[in-house]
Amino acid sequence: MKSDMGLIVKTMARATIPLIGIFGAYVVSHGHLTPGGGFQGGATIAGAGILFIIAFGLDEAKKRINKNLYSALEGLGGLVFLGAAMLGLGVAFFYNTLWHNGPILNGEPGTLLSAGYLPIMNLAVGLKVYTGLMSAVFAIALFRRWRK
Amino acid sequence: MMLPFLIIIPLFGAFSMPIVSLLGKKVKEYWAVIISGATLAVSAKIFYTVWKTNEIILYTLGSDSPIGQGVKFPIRIVWEVDLFGALLALTIAFVGFLAVVYSLGYMKHDTGLEKYYTLILILELGMLGIVITGDIFNFYVFLEIMSIASYALVAFRNDTWEGIEAGVKYMFVGSLASSFILLGIALLYGQYGTLTMSYLAIKIAENPTVVAKVALAFFIGGLLFKSGAVPVHMWLADAHPAAPSSISAMLSGLVIKAGGVYAVARIIFSIFNPGLHAYLRAFNAPAVDMNVVGWVIVFFACLTLLVGNAMAVVQTDMKRLFAFSSVGQIGYILLGIGIGILAYGTKAGELALAGAIYHIVNHALIKALLFLVAGAVIHQVGTKNLNELSGLAKRMPLTTFSFIIGAAAIIGLPPLNGFASKWIIYESSAMYNPILAAIAVVGTVFSLAAYTRVLFTFLGRESDRIKEAKEPEKSMIIPMLILVVVIIVMGLLPWQINDKVMLPTARMLEQLNGEYIMALLKFIGGA
Repeated sequence: MKSDMGLIVKTMARATIPLIGIFGAYVVSHGHLTPGGGFQGGATIAGAGILFIIAFGLDEAKKRINKNLYSALEGLGGLVFLGAAMLGLGVAFFYNTLWHNGPILNGEPGTLLSAGYLPIMNLAVGLKVYTGLMSAVFAIALFRRWRK
Repeated sequence: MMLPFLIIIPLFGAFSMPIVSLLGKKVKEYWAVIISGATLAVSAKIFYTVWKTNEIILYTLGSDSPIGQGVKFPIRIVWEVDLFGALLALTIAFVGFLAVVYSLGYMKHDTGLEKYYTLILILELGMLGIVITGDIFNFYVFLEIMSIASYALVAFRNDTWEGIEAGVKYMFVGSLASSFILLGIALLYGQYGTLTMSYLAIKIAENPTVVAKVALAFFIGGLLFKSGAVPVHMWLADAHPAAPSSISAMLSGLVIKAGGVYAVARIIFSIFNPGLHAYLRAFNAPAVDMNVVGWVIVFFACLTLLVGNAMAVVQTDMKRLFAFSSVGQIGYILLGIGIGILAYGTKAGELALAGAIYHIVNHALIKALLFLVAGAVIHQVGTKNLNELSGLAKRMPLTTFSFIIGAAAIIGLPPLNGFASKWIIYESSAMYNPILAAIAVVGTVFSLAAYTRVLFTFLGRESDRIKEAKEPEKSMIIPMLILVVVIIVMGLLPWQINDKVMLPTARMLEQLNGEYIMALLKFIGGA
């Protein structure tokens, strides 16, 4: 199916998709410092992906979006989250051992590397939300046409 | 400490399923079997620990103590597992495991199986979370996990109109019910400022306001929806027939128990403890009148067991008949819980609760067996219409045998497990109020009539539809036979099981000395 969008929309999409993506990545990676976090950032990045599907059309999206990759990455996001939660299992499930004694991630509060497992979990959730929303929207976009 | 693995293992299985399924067709099926088998082992170990020590396990997420630094109240999510929770976790993991094994044969003609196995593990995870949690918001999250997975599984065969119709109906009704529960939680949090169940119990006893009563009403309303009690059972009669049979077995055996009657019992006995409030009333202090709650539950229980069983008699669709029979059996369980509230602290109340808990386990096993039998018939013959089927006994002897055992057990014939639990419920309701016992017996008469009709389907003259029928493959037969063996063995030792497991469970749920609250208070110290 051919894209219906005109040249202006496509050009604007080319300009804004990277900006939305970078802003989303910022929201995800600063989840422990500023408002936002994994879900909000992941949804923002998925917004960039949806803009891509709308502006460039389904045929272009079919070439670039691999179903198996997205579904595997979604699983990976969940696994990383679970793994971070299990790191402190010696004390308790979800014990933030990276903050209490772990390497690197126990810096001065307020800096980027400060919140123990939180940045890892934010990245994992961001990945999961982005791939999940993209797969859902793409699957709906590919659904059978209105009348056979 | 084994407890977190009850959540970690199915969660790991569900998250890794999309990656594992890239390895090949068969791998994901075996992976699901391994994961649910490991969950079964963990839940058996936890049940054994709790049963042996007879103490409530309190597990804190994120730290070794639920109490915050410098404050005197719990700030973290706690998981609080008493015998009731552990017993249900064992039942859930057992039936879930058998349903996964059954799916190997039953689902092999369907597509999208990696989603199916992910969802079935998520469904199991949600139910296990509900029965172990001691935090009311955590409870809501697990309830939603379970509900959303079951909406998706009911509509899994999305090329059939009935799957979509039942899924949409179930989703609309279920979301409404969940929002009731969320509203109740929001009200309680706004009033009392805590989400930990046992701390909430203390706070409500200190100051039982109208808000607490309204929240309790929302909880009971929402949870009766989820358990399929009568005025709001209509989703169940559509959802169970439309789902794949392995899922019907889990929905009917587990989902309406974990998300419905278990949660009703947990919220009433752990947050609004009848004993605590009766004690307050004795001193003329403000308290929630739990007798009203008890009568509300008994009223809906009587309605449920009459209407559910009576509707089962007139069905011509085998799975729809089983679904209505599930509604009827939920009535017995609610009756036991209701009398447990009304006759709190007496012999009759304790017996009624034990009977309700016993019946939860028994009905989970029996109804799982019956739905697996129905699945085998549909899979081999291709119809579930009772008018087209008759005389299956010669072509499918093992399936017929399983059905006869299941039907006899659910009616409550003496050598099988359904007898003991129903007997205890009759006995305790007769001790409390003979009219209730009479209503319960009338419900059983309807149930007997319904199952006798199905029996003729299996034993009658051979019809044309089934000339070609033969036994299903091993992976479908073996789960049915395991359930048959468990039902017979449990039926041979009814009073031993009742004395050793069900009565201690009922006592622990009743918490006459506030054990559920004490498990938390010992961290605060001094109290």
